[in-house]
Amino acid sequence: MNRLNGKTALVTGGRQGIGRAIVDRFVIEGAQVMTCGRGPRPRDLPQAVLWETADVAQKFDVDALTDRVVAAFGELSVLVNNAGLQIEKTIVETTDRDWDLLMGVNAKAVFMLCRDCIPIMGKGGSIINIGSISASSADPGLALYNASKAFVQGLTRSIAVDHGPAIRCNAISPGWILTGMADAAFAAAGDTEQAKRDALARHPAGRFGQPADIANLALWLASDEAAFATGQCYTLDGGLTAASPLNPGLF
Amino acid sequence: MSKMLHGKTAFVTGGSGGIGSAICARFAREGARVIAADLAQPDEQPEGIEFITYDVTDAAVCQQTFAALSARWDRLDILVNAAAIEIEKTIEETTLEEWNRIFAINVTGMFLTSKYALPLMRKSGGGSIINFGSYDGYIADPGLAAYCATKGAVHALTRAMACDHGPEGIRVNAICPGYVDTPMLRSFFGESGDIESLQQAVRDLHPTRSYGTPQDIANLVNWLASDEARYASGQLWIIDGGLSAQVQQMNL
Repeated sequence: MNRLNGKTALVTGGRQGIGRAIVDRFVIEGAQVMTCGRGPRPRDLPQAVLWETADVAQKFDVDALTDRVVAAFGELSVLVNNAGLQIEKTIVETTDRDWDLLMGVNAKAVFMLCRDCIPIMGKGGSIINIGSISASSADPGLALYNASKAFVQGLTRSIAVDHGPAIRCNAISPGWILTGMADAAFAAAGDTEQAKRDALARHPAGRFGQPADIANLALWLASDEAAFATGQCYTLDGGLTAASPLNPGLF
Repeated sequence: MSKMLHGKTAFVTGGSGGIGSAICARFAREGARVIAADLAQPDEQPEGIEFITYDVTDAAVCQQTFAALSARWDRLDILVNAAAIEIEKTIEETTLEEWNRIFAINVTGMFLTSKYALPLMRKSGGGSIINFGSYDGYIADPGLAAYCATKGAVHALTRAMACDHGPEGIRVNAICPGYVDTPMLRSFFGESGDIESLQQAVRDLHPTRSYGTPQDIANLVNWLASDEARYASGQLWIIDGGLSAQVQQMNL
């Protein structure tokens, strides 16, 4: 229960889903945690967690967030870039506004937060970016989302190479995790229940992921146990991408 | 820290080797009952670890070992396939006997041990298998042709086992270490001259400015073996201090 004792952490997008699971786990393990989102502080957020209302796609908000981290913690030990959004469109359907919206959160925010936070990781730090299996195998109808997650993978390697040894930087590539984002994808299917049954059958683990599954890996990467792990994009998907997309049992 | 493997049982091949012994020590500290299986038993045997003589290439030995283990243990939660050798040769220099030998240990040994361990693991209602791949299964080191090929085979086998046995609650992952300070690595350095300056040069090429220790690898094996990794399967976990995140470093 003390694997992050003495560490300070900033987790973006901590209102719900994966971000919230990471926040909760980091707190249990002894870290001081700040998180943020576009709306007001969630009522059920643990008292000990600092909340900032911020749109991480806006430079002004990111700079203010970094100032708040310095004011609250002095130095930062762990940055989790979790905030993200998806737009269910092919590129032909995608507008310029969609591009700004999605790339603003999924790509530009990651860049800006790393740029601001690396200089305040005085004793060294661990950056954990939430990518997606979509970075290396495309989900249909999610063109910009897929591309934005490939950006995250590329940036993750660059940060590890440029800012080691003080900074370690890794990405977690979740598969299908039960969050609002996955629900939206199933809702877009013709037969939601059939789509869920089919998707489940494609997971060797026999289930979809939970936000807590991702938090378990984020915790390990944030801790000193992961001292030799950097520059990697670790997939956590219940085995989904280990198998061929053509699954003869499921025609 | 609460013990992450409390109540679990583990079988580690190559358990007396550089990385294998670090894994066994960590498993024991985390509360697991551990069997370290290797060709030779070490002179010093730390408490809490049971050492057995085991040859991964001998099908009869593998079968008999797990038959005997099934009579003593009602469960197997963790299998680590860490037994491996390295041959420092190009394919032209490699004899057929050497080629067959490295495949027998690094690949066939993993197949045999897993094959005979599966029934006991299934009896436990599931488990975690951790195979030793290598970052050399992705990108080559010069003069290690057969070794690189065996590690590529391990990676493919890992995915296939994860697909086949996932529905039984058995997770299968591979660890792919980069440069780790072991007797195997020192042997790889051995013939290249001044070892100190060579080691420093190798460190400098890593974003972490160090190469790994067996403990670094054991840290990840421990996580994958634990219930924290219950959604992790079918993956190849490179842990290499960031080495392979870079393109080849030119002396510019």
